[in-house]
Amino acid sequence: MRETSTYTEAELISGCVHGDREAQRLLYERYASVMYPVCVRYLGREDAKDVLQEGFLTVFDKIGTYKGEGSFEGWMRKLFVNASLMHLRKTDVLRRTEDIDEVPEAGGVLEHGVLEQISSREILDLVAGLPAGLRSVFNLFVMEGYSHAEVGALLGITEQSSRSQLSRARSLLQEKIKKIYNGKR
Amino acid sequence: MVRDDFDQRLRDRLEGVTEPAPDVWEGISQGLERRRRRVVFRRFAVAAAAAAAVLALALLVFRGPRTGGQVVAPVQIAGTEKPVVAPAETPDIPDIAPIEEQIAALPHQAVAVARVHKPAAPVVPATDEPAAAEPVAVEPTVEAKAETPVVAEPKADEARHLLSEDELPADYWTREEASEKSHSRTHTSQISILSNLTTTATDGNLLYIPSPMHASSQSGKSQAVSDIEPYSTNKFYAPLTFGLQVAFPLTDRLFIATGVNYSYLVSQYDILYKKVMYEGAYNQLHYVGVPLSLSYHFVQTPHLGVYAAVTGAAEKCVAQRYVFGSNVLSEKVTGLQWSAKAGIGIEYWFIPHMGIYFDPSLIYFFDNKQPLSIRTQQPLQANFEVGLRFKI
Repeated sequence: MRETSTYTEAELISGCVHGDREAQRLLYERYASVMYPVCVRYLGREDAKDVLQEGFLTVFDKIGTYKGEGSFEGWMRKLFVNASLMHLRKTDVLRRTEDIDEVPEAGGVLEHGVLEQISSREILDLVAGLPAGLRSVFNLFVMEGYSHAEVGALLGITEQSSRSQLSRARSLLQEKIKKIYNGKR
Repeated sequence: MVRDDFDQRLRDRLEGVTEPAPDVWEGISQGLERRRRRVVFRRFAVAAAAAAAVLALALLVFRGPRTGGQVVAPVQIAGTEKPVVAPAETPDIPDIAPIEEQIAALPHQAVAVARVHKPAAPVVPATDEPAAAEPVAVEPTVEAKAETPVVAEPKADEARHLLSEDELPADYWTREEASEKSHSRTHTSQISILSNLTTTATDGNLLYIPSPMHASSQSGKSQAVSDIEPYSTNKFYAPLTFGLQVAFPLTDRLFIATGVNYSYLVSQYDILYKKVMYEGAYNQLHYVGVPLSLSYHFVQTPHLGVYAAVTGAAEKCVAQRYVFGSNVLSEKVTGLQWSAKAGIGIEYWFIPHMGIYFDPSLIYFFDNKQPLSIRTQQPLQANFEVGLRFKI
């Protein structure tokens, strides 16, 4: 049995297209640690595991449609983002926005150097810990680059609501980052 | 678009983050195995239905004249030709007495006539020989037919009198056949309650349709949803059909049937709506159709029937809905969906007037510019129809 590192990406993709179970396993091993944080960002750690599994099944199902345009990792990431949003819709989390109003509006700008003192893992946990609505808007706007109109359409909220929730998400994150930073000093 | 500096710095930190993932390979592996089995089953189902359809067509097209070991009824037109009897049925076995003699030999039996398969209406002139002994040599005459005696109802004390073949009224067998046929006819019109399940071999893998042949915008004119365009196909659910059909006999074995069917099709695919992509939008189609079917029953027993059938149907999409995000949009669909179906069927009658049937078949949906669905993506499908059938 070959190690995953000895296969080229093209070989793995080709194997998966032909339903080769070994190629599928190696592809999973290569990308699971990359896609898992994507799911965590959208869903938190509790639900991320389920979506990671479902996302890989979708990848293997659709891998024949990957035409080599753009990076394969980017193509996979898009599928996992979609799988995460689907999960949020299914669980109807996005409609439960009562917790959003309790979040304070933005309160100042984070000083330079503060964010750099926080590890990526800690930042990931902070994003994953946001209320679902804020988390979704933050991820779609900041990480995926959608406009507020597009975020609103995707989540079934108004454009104004998207702006408002992003603002609250920023405030909450800044506040928590400051707390961690102060704790480390 | 201007992004906040804080946003950009967060993005830089989060992009490319890796983290050991929980081991979910076991679950993935099981999921892949389930999907593989589904694909195998679908292929098997399609192959089985194809074989059934081919067999059905072959039976319909190549079926020869039916003899079935019975005496072929001579078509007798008085004064024209001799009746023809199948050579194999000529009773030339000397050891067996004519049926009338056997009947006559039965002591005190209150049976008037033993029913044997007999030429439909040979008018037999009086001879010394029993009629059944030489059916071929008999020359029918117009006069004999015209002198058909009227048989009075036997009285109680005459019940023991046994009629010979010669004493039977000339149209006895004809009347009995007609009576049987009439009796049979009254019970062969059928009404069916049916349900269809169609297996599909398509399960996605069509990523992008730049200008789809069957995009909703081509089939419907609703301005409200004219911006909807299928972006990538994900999943087609098995269509469901329910219906009510009535079948009428054209002959003893040939039936024509019609009725009304309702079909429900659900697809799930990504759509572009006002230039925004929505993943996993549901498209629901409701069809009402009228099928017309012709079936030939090549096996008919009191409990079992096997038949081949061909069906044509026209269906109208009476409602179409898109459900995505919090949006539910409707669209009118114009035109008709035409289809052709061929297959075989088997019916089992639990009781004389009620039975269950199962029709595996192949169905082909013609390209009639209908909305994107499994019918447009996979026009040839294996179809399994089950239902209850009632004789009326």
